[in-house]
Amino acid sequence: MAEPTDWTLRVDQVVKVFNNKVRANDGLTLHVEPGEVYGLLGPNGAGKTTLVKQIIGLLKPDGGSISLGPHDLVADPDAARQLCSYLPQAQMPINSFRAREAIDITGMIRGGASALVKRRRDELIDALELGEWRDTFGVRLSGGVKRLVGFVMATVLPGRIVILDEPTNDVDPRRRRLLWDQVRHLGEEGVAVLLVTHNVIEAEKAVDRLAIIDEGRLLAEGTPSSMKSTDRGRLRLQVMMTPGADTPDLLPFVQQYTRVGNNLMTVIDETEAAHAIGWAQELVGLGLAEEYALGSTTLEDVYIRMTGDIEAPAVTGS
Amino acid sequence: MTSQTLRSGPAYWWRSYLAMLRWDLTSLRMVLPITVLVLSLAGGGFVLAVDLFFGQVPEEAALYVSTGVLVITLVTIGLVLAPQLIAQQKIEKTYDFLWSLPVPRTTAAFSWITTNLIIGLPAMTLALVVAVLRYDLPLHVTPMILPAVLLVVFTGTMIGYALAHAVAQPMVTMVISQVLIFVIIGFSPINFPADQLPGWLASAHEWLPFAPMADAIRAAITKGVVPNVARSYLMLGAWAVISVAVTAAVLGRRK
Repeated sequence: MAEPTDWTLRVDQVVKVFNNKVRANDGLTLHVEPGEVYGLLGPNGAGKTTLVKQIIGLLKPDGGSISLGPHDLVADPDAARQLCSYLPQAQMPINSFRAREAIDITGMIRGGASALVKRRRDELIDALELGEWRDTFGVRLSGGVKRLVGFVMATVLPGRIVILDEPTNDVDPRRRRLLWDQVRHLGEEGVAVLLVTHNVIEAEKAVDRLAIIDEGRLLAEGTPSSMKSTDRGRLRLQVMMTPGADTPDLLPFVQQYTRVGNNLMTVIDETEAAHAIGWAQELVGLGLAEEYALGSTTLEDVYIRMTGDIEAPAVTGS
Repeated sequence: MTSQTLRSGPAYWWRSYLAMLRWDLTSLRMVLPITVLVLSLAGGGFVLAVDLFFGQVPEEAALYVSTGVLVITLVTIGLVLAPQLIAQQKIEKTYDFLWSLPVPRTTAAFSWITTNLIIGLPAMTLALVVAVLRYDLPLHVTPMILPAVLLVVFTGTMIGYALAHAVAQPMVTMVISQVLIFVIIGFSPINFPADQLPGWLASAHEWLPFAPMADAIRAAITKGVVPNVARSYLMLGAWAVISVAVTAAVLGRRK
């Protein structure tokens, strides 16, 4: 009996240099297995979208290889387009389509039989609670609903790999959960999912494995818990500062901090928890802070330490 | 559930073509009727305006205007609207999504040519009817109208397509397409004989595609007006090949 095909996506040592000499991808290697939800995290300009465009055959790498199962996606962009389903970060161009039409035509374009496409379309519309908009024109859909329709377009007849670039942008919290359920479901069906995002908190819950990339290079790869293992023994102390209050002098036990607006996030050693709570209580007592919370560190703390990234106007340090 | 095997062959091509045609027509659904209407009114209106402007139009001039305007109604969409739509896709960043769709590239092009025919044909027909009613023209419609219309629309659409894909900057594409329509209407031997143009411009038009478009259409519906239509077909064919080659090179060459 023939061996079943191994449909792993293999990105090996991919290099992409743009005309302006920017090395958007600088020797990236990552593998995504069938059924796996794989997160690709990194700040703006890290090279995530450049990598995606090379996988789906829109850009050609300057070095390295990309393959999906037996197919060389660099040499055969036609195969790349057939085997990959793609939800881009920009909204889908469906203003003059009814939601269900946009989904049906995409299914038809992907080669699906009409009955199958319609059945899958109805399942997904129900699962994401989009029923009330099924006959609404794209131009009248809110950003979040349009995003979800785009998700259904990308997954109504998924290829071997589904690439989702910031799928939950503008989507309400309830339907975000429904969307993540469907992403997990794709994995259960054996589809590989490559999730591109900067939303670390959501990614932590949704992915099996993830890579953090910055400046075109892989900084770390692993499961969310293995990524956090370096943070074992540390805790996160979050202090909501009173509006207008300056960042207080930080005591030596604060190993890392970020302030976004009034939200001061610090990472401390767990042996210093009692001191830290005392310090936070003192800030509340002095009226400098409104409340505080102590918890385990999250993937976001790891991410910020690795990328040194400032997504919002923020002050960081360690 | 998944699309797991690679598709190929004529059935794949045909299905993809039909799907892309449905995509294109649905995309343009909001503007399609109004575009056909405006183009028809513009075509018919142009024929009548010439009469109003000059009072008495000689038969030869009437023949040129009435047949020339057909070319304008056929190629405006392909040469002007198409580059602008594609420029718009680049600005709105939907271009990448559309080119990531799993269809043979040629089906997207043929779907677009078909869309152009669907928009151009009613406008062309109306302009012709208006011209016949107004000027009582000695028309002699032959079956050559079919290849002439198809070749004119194919070439016009592919030139616009090549332009839109080859020029990276959407704003530049828009400017070029505006200039093109200006040149076609005002400075091409489409609505008048080439000998009315300055010598250098007339010579340039021997190698540009616009005069051959007009000659091919004119030869198919008149008698004895176009002396050598074979050269026009050759020129149009050459322009079609060049634009297809440019488009294929641009779309095939991934950066």
